[in-house]
Amino acid sequence: MAAVGWLESILAGAVQAGTVFLIASLGEIYAERSGVLNLGMEGMMIVGAAVSFIVTNALGHGYAILAVLLMGLALGLGHAFLTVTLKLNQIVVGLALTILGLGLGGLLGNAEIRRRLILALNPAVEERNLIVQEAAKLPDIPIPVLKDIPVLGGMFFQQNALIYLSLVLTFVMWFILFRTRFGLALRSVGENPAMADAMGINVFITRYIAMAICGMLGALAGSYLFIGYQPFWVEGMTNGRGFIALALVILATWNPLRAVLAAYLFGGVETLQFRLQLLGVAAQIPQFLLMLPYIVTIVTLTLLSLESVRKRIGVPAALGIPYSRE
Amino acid sequence: MWVESPQTLVEMRGIVKRFPGVLANDSASFTLLRGEVHALLGENGAGKTTLMNILYGLYRPDAGQIYVKGRLVQIRSPRDAISLGIGMVHQQFRLIPTHTVAENIIVGSREIGFTLRYDAINEELSKLIKFYGWSIRPDSRVWQLSAGEKQQVELLKALYRKADILILDEPTSVLTPQETTVLFQTLRRMASQGLGVVLISHKLDEVMGVSDRVTVMRRGRTVATKPTKETNPEELAYLMIGRQIGVVEPRKTTLSPHPILETHGLKVLDDKGLLAVKGLSIKLHGGEILGVAGVSGNGQQELMEALVGLRRVEEGKILIGGIDVTNKPPSAFIDAGVAYIPPETLKYTASGMTVAENLILKSYRRSKFSHRFLINWRNVYEEAERLVKTFNIVAPSLKTRAGNLSGGNIQRLVLARELALQDDIKIVIAAYPTKGLDVASTEFIQRKLAETRDRGAGVLLVSEDLEELAMLSDRLIVMYKGGIVGELSRAEFDLETVGLMMTGVKRAEATA
Amino acid sequence: MLGTAVKIRVERRLELPRRTSAAISGLLILLSFVVASAVFELLGVNSVRTLSTIVSVFLSPTSLLQAVIRGMPIGLAALGLSLAFRMNFWNIGAEGQLYMGMFAATGVVLLHAYYGAIPEQLLFTTMILASFVSGGLYCTLPGYLKAKLGVNEILPTLMLNYVAILFVDFLVYGPWRDPKGFSFPLSITFPDYARMDGFLGNASYLGLTMALVVAAIVYVLMNWTTIGFEMRVVGQNVDAAKYGGINLLRTTLIGSFLAGGLAGVGGLIIVSGLIGRLRPRASPGYGYTAIIVAFLAGLNPWLIVPASIFFGGLLVAGEAIQAALNLPVAAVQVFQAIIFIMIIVAEFFKRYRVTIRR
Repeated sequence: MAAVGWLESILAGAVQAGTVFLIASLGEIYAERSGVLNLGMEGMMIVGAAVSFIVTNALGHGYAILAVLLMGLALGLGHAFLTVTLKLNQIVVGLALTILGLGLGGLLGNAEIRRRLILALNPAVEERNLIVQEAAKLPDIPIPVLKDIPVLGGMFFQQNALIYLSLVLTFVMWFILFRTRFGLALRSVGENPAMADAMGINVFITRYIAMAICGMLGALAGSYLFIGYQPFWVEGMTNGRGFIALALVILATWNPLRAVLAAYLFGGVETLQFRLQLLGVAAQIPQFLLMLPYIVTIVTLTLLSLESVRKRIGVPAALGIPYSRE
Repeated sequence: MWVESPQTLVEMRGIVKRFPGVLANDSASFTLLRGEVHALLGENGAGKTTLMNILYGLYRPDAGQIYVKGRLVQIRSPRDAISLGIGMVHQQFRLIPTHTVAENIIVGSREIGFTLRYDAINEELSKLIKFYGWSIRPDSRVWQLSAGEKQQVELLKALYRKADILILDEPTSVLTPQETTVLFQTLRRMASQGLGVVLISHKLDEVMGVSDRVTVMRRGRTVATKPTKETNPEELAYLMIGRQIGVVEPRKTTLSPHPILETHGLKVLDDKGLLAVKGLSIKLHGGEILGVAGVSGNGQQELMEALVGLRRVEEGKILIGGIDVTNKPPSAFIDAGVAYIPPETLKYTASGMTVAENLILKSYRRSKFSHRFLINWRNVYEEAERLVKTFNIVAPSLKTRAGNLSGGNIQRLVLARELALQDDIKIVIAAYPTKGLDVASTEFIQRKLAETRDRGAGVLLVSEDLEELAMLSDRLIVMYKGGIVGELSRAEFDLETVGLMMTGVKRAEATA
Repeated sequence: MLGTAVKIRVERRLELPRRTSAAISGLLILLSFVVASAVFELLGVNSVRTLSTIVSVFLSPTSLLQAVIRGMPIGLAALGLSLAFRMNFWNIGAEGQLYMGMFAATGVVLLHAYYGAIPEQLLFTTMILASFVSGGLYCTLPGYLKAKLGVNEILPTLMLNYVAILFVDFLVYGPWRDPKGFSFPLSITFPDYARMDGFLGNASYLGLTMALVVAAIVYVLMNWTTIGFEMRVVGQNVDAAKYGGINLLRTTLIGSFLAGGLAGVGGLIIVSGLIGRLRPRASPGYGYTAIIVAFLAGLNPWLIVPASIFFGGLLVAGEAIQAALNLPVAAVQVFQAIIFIMIIVAEFFKRYRVTIRR
């Protein structure tokens, strides 16, 4: 019985830890499916976390999410301007954005600056909120009846609003991508922009929209990391999750439904590692476990390069290549 | 402007199109009527694809007018063309292999609503498919389809958008004979529905078989338009090629006793995995120029790449000087004395590097230019100076970026690199070496090739310019669909015969 | 005035004279100072004091020396990157290769300390060799995947960073932990003859010498040797390389080995010149900063050395700012990022000419 309880808590933990990956990779899937590689995800995430930290302490969760989405939109559009309009190298732009994001995140997390910003947003805020290194966590919202289902109840029906949102988002984004005109257009732009252009689709606007979505979701993922998962500020708290999301997208073969599985898998590994550490298991093993996602990614990439596989589950053919109508 | 007649779908008048150094369309004109299959015939470079690309909005004409269904129109892009009811199927398909047939067809269409209801869409497509007697399924993935089926998807793209003007560019080049039959049935079906079909082709038998009218183009001009019933292959071949006799340059050397290059039963695949060279056997001796005639796309490219080590040989052998070099790496061929003048010069040019560096691209390993691992730049620059003078390469300096040179100069650079930097050139493989070049460059290159031959090398010259081949070749073979249709010695050379052979007619029948 | 439209015309440049290129770069670097000030002010940071602190770092000899040694790991990694990028090998894995260099250097020290395996006199040389080979081999794995299987190297090199960092974590928390270290995750301290300040008094002198020597080697390699020529052709046009008889596999493997190896030696400088022992997270992203430095220097090895000193100085300044103005080191990171973005935008202006007409 105790074993089952332990398993249940790991699975629930997998969902909680995995949601940050899920939200980020949903955004990245849209970007990459339209042909734009966004290496700046890590930067967007930490900015999202920092902004959610500050605005939650100033004005509460609702405004925080709004602020985060706006910030993410700005970053996404900035990336699109540099890569789609100016046609600059996507790898370099992404790296620059990551470094910028990490720097901004660090700045925003600084006590002095934080204090000033919170006061600017809400002069009437409690003194306490100006100083603490944490913020209120999003409350869990258990769904009656469903929450009592064994195993699944703990995993899916006793979580917070952002987790529910992520699941809804997964389905919605899958639907849009594969069952709507816009989704088809987006996918075609990423595979053969010349063909899409000839068929009447505006390649540039499509990519801008995709990057806008990617930016917003990337920042949202960061905000989840903070107010939904670990609401105490640590510098660099994203810890490479943004890059893992990139790997995740490949593992999920650019499909939102598979992204859920991959995200929870990675979340499960993370949770397992925590629990093992708590149990006092030799500290070495968790480190090798943590290497798993990265190694799996490399293996996946290698397999995807084989001709036979490449034909069926393709990398979007135009990924990373700026489009010009020459 | 006024409706000419409700039967005229398209009228193009006085179309002029210039590209750098080349007049692709010289006041060309073309009309398309409802319910006809109209063939557009001509050699490569005659201007037929350019003319149709203008109609489809891929190029803008420098002069001339286009009327579609009686109205004067400006077609600025394929989108405009599509909205006018024009559809084009190119030689290289523009499809997304990982998507389904339906997805490829409906993308960008305004008619389908925000949510895609595939049952309705698939039904509509199935109706069209059945009407034409095809057997593809809307939910198959395009990568699973054969070439003929992919072509059907391309046709559906246009038909779905209610196109009534269809242009097909050399559609049978990728098809099997059976698929070709199906295609022609389809085209006649379309014509019977009142559509107008333009068939760009160089194959006389097909043109005679399926078209109602034929327009022949040559050197950018429309030479003639005739109802197919009132003409025959010989007349068409004559119109296609014209009667020009080249200057005969006798061979000055004797042949080497043994062939320096041989192939036995060579089989080579193209990029799509289809057999492009189908069991070819040739012999090339030192001291001769072997011309290879034929419309491009009949396996010449694949043959040449195999002969320099850039493409795998599936079956058969290549022997250089009696030694088997089949499937050895390019460096082995270079060491064996093979020079290659490639068709797309930029493809093999490092455009971001300097002129001098490009000159030594293949020969940097030679002891004159490098010792152990260090490059002797002084020698390199000395040699480069000499070559620039000898080959008349116009460049601000040896350190100029190669990509900044004009097309003709890059070609001279390539020539210099190939012909002059390797002491012991035994074989030169030249692919369309004078294509698109001005008169001076053309003469220069032709002279250089003859000189190389006179020094004892064997030259394999692949060209679409029959005049050039007539002038330079000591022997001529004609390639068609990956095989050799026939061989002619210099004495037997006759333009009409060659023209017919280029369209697949075998030697015996052609000279009959 | 209101009624007339403003037309912006963008056309590709046909030529780029050196002066124009330098002017564009200079203008945009100046612009980065302006933008950075704006961002700082927006966040309530005194930009004048911040920027003057940064400048003052380069004016005092002690902090300048500090800047040099801090910049050297970045510089060596960036030199390796200049090779890789010119070969069109996007090595984002310099960070991981740094760690593998640290691992190898420490391993050699441990072999010597615990097993007496290498004599004192040869120790430092062995460390250099070991870190070079370790970083080099680590980079050839993605190199092989690219050359043989066509796997794009960006994600594999990036992923391997994390693997390397975790590997070093494992070592330092586990088997390599200093038994006398009070349970802190630290290796034993390196003996004097294994530390860079043992030579020439100050680690900076040795570090700078190493960097200059390597810059010279890289310069000669790329411009005067056949292998450098081959790497440059491969970076320009793979078809042309094959056509010229260049062996793609061999060239890619050599290039990736050299790039990784240089980063590995950068790692050696970290443990031997900066810290004096191995600890987790010893590199605060030097491998990524190296990418910025390589771009800023236009992949020119001679410019990489001063550029890396500049960035080393930014790090030193970061700490000074933290002490004096109570600002996080992240402020410097933001500045770095802004410079980076400006350089990238400069690329656009170098490639295209923009004219605005009324």
